[in-house]
Amino acid sequence: MLKKISSFFTSKYILILVVLLCSALIVASFFTDKLVAPVRNIVSTLVMPIQDGMNYIGLWVSDGYEKIQEATKILEENQSLKSKVDELTEENNKLKQDTYELNRLRELYKLDESYANYAKVGARIIGTSSDNWYSTFTINKGSDDGIAVNMNVIADGGLVGIVTSVGKNYATVKSIIEDGSFVSGQLIDTGDKCTVQGNIDLMDSGMIRIQHFKHSVTVRNGDKIVTSNISDRYLPGILIGYTKDVSLDSNNLTQSGYLIPAVDFGHLQEVLVITQLKEVGE
Amino acid sequence: MKRKILELIIIILFYCLSVTLGRVIELGGIKPNMLIVLPILFGYLNGSNEGMFVGFFSGLIYDIFISTIVGFSPLVFSILGYISGLFFQKYEKSEIIIPLIIVAFGDIIYEFLSYIGNFLLHNRLNVLYFVKRFMIPEMIYTVLFFVLLFKPIVLINPLLSGKKKRRVSYFDERDN
Repeated sequence: MLKKISSFFTSKYILILVVLLCSALIVASFFTDKLVAPVRNIVSTLVMPIQDGMNYIGLWVSDGYEKIQEATKILEENQSLKSKVDELTEENNKLKQDTYELNRLRELYKLDESYANYAKVGARIIGTSSDNWYSTFTINKGSDDGIAVNMNVIADGGLVGIVTSVGKNYATVKSIIEDGSFVSGQLIDTGDKCTVQGNIDLMDSGMIRIQHFKHSVTVRNGDKIVTSNISDRYLPGILIGYTKDVSLDSNNLTQSGYLIPAVDFGHLQEVLVITQLKEVGE
Repeated sequence: MKRKILELIIIILFYCLSVTLGRVIELGGIKPNMLIVLPILFGYLNGSNEGMFVGFFSGLIYDIFISTIVGFSPLVFSILGYISGLFFQKYEKSEIIIPLIIVAFGDIIYEFLSYIGNFLLHNRLNVLYFVKRFMIPEMIYTVLFFVLLFKPIVLINPLLSGKKKRRVSYFDERDN
């Protein structure tokens, strides 16, 4: 009997079964997330601690390696830096005056305050997507820590991305530089709206696309772009980045250009998740 | 059974390696595709069934955590495992060229299919850029990774199923 069953399960039949099963899964995943979610939670309780530990070891090793490499460089640099200190002290005094001015302006915008008022949770990045198409990463806090889908993620005072899926002890964050990510933004001073779009073609230059400015708006290089108040997922007033080379499109109606993100995506290690969701009136 | 569990552990280990170590060893934003190597190796060393088993689960763990469409990677990985299983016992186990060719072509095909799904259907038609910037470098890096991995896995492979059953399973695993 057993022999008969096993003779039926030759690899050809198994292959057909696997192909059918996978096709069914693909079709199902277009419609619902329910099939996968329980499996995901079970596996994640097993995998995430390992991943957390390995990530720590990996960072420790690469840090150590970089330290050795840079030790010689640092000695040389030390000499030239000493001479620079005097120069910078003078500049610092000047900048301090600027800071007072900046603080005054910030109060004017009330922007800093609205940032600080959001409740935030710190999280460490424990994994990045293992293929080269996505800029998605995994953080070590999940629904147990109050994280939910569509929460905004920031770091270094700038927007990093948005939570797209949540497990018990981990969450997946889609960054704004990922291809196919759209963020509604606005100029910080005039409030003119635009769209910030991740683009994989620009990956090497570290920039992303910015488009849909009205043709009448003047945009200079280095203008600050923040998340707009009309976005339905992003909280208003979070810094996204700085504009570059915005010019009129061939249709003469809109302007587009590039945006340099405020966040250094190459060296992200810790992020802050804002646990407040944008409230959208239905 | 013991063998299957050990293989699952290896898959989980490789998944963790690829998402954590990937950041450290990436060159120019390109990481090797560590998971595609497993089904091809195990298929080549132990036959199609084993290749499909490893392919299905390594694809599954990849998809449920990273991709939104679950089922695509298991599909491609299991087919690759099956194909490389066709060469099972036709060559010496230490013959690296056959699985290496399958890895190279398999990775390119897998990447190209994901390019079609993720980008071409979204009207991103500059195929050459994607091939030059992402697919070819990743293929080369994956092949390099495979070459480094080949010998250790060949050595570990007989240990997975315990020594006693080795000779018997030699016949059982031949499936056609």
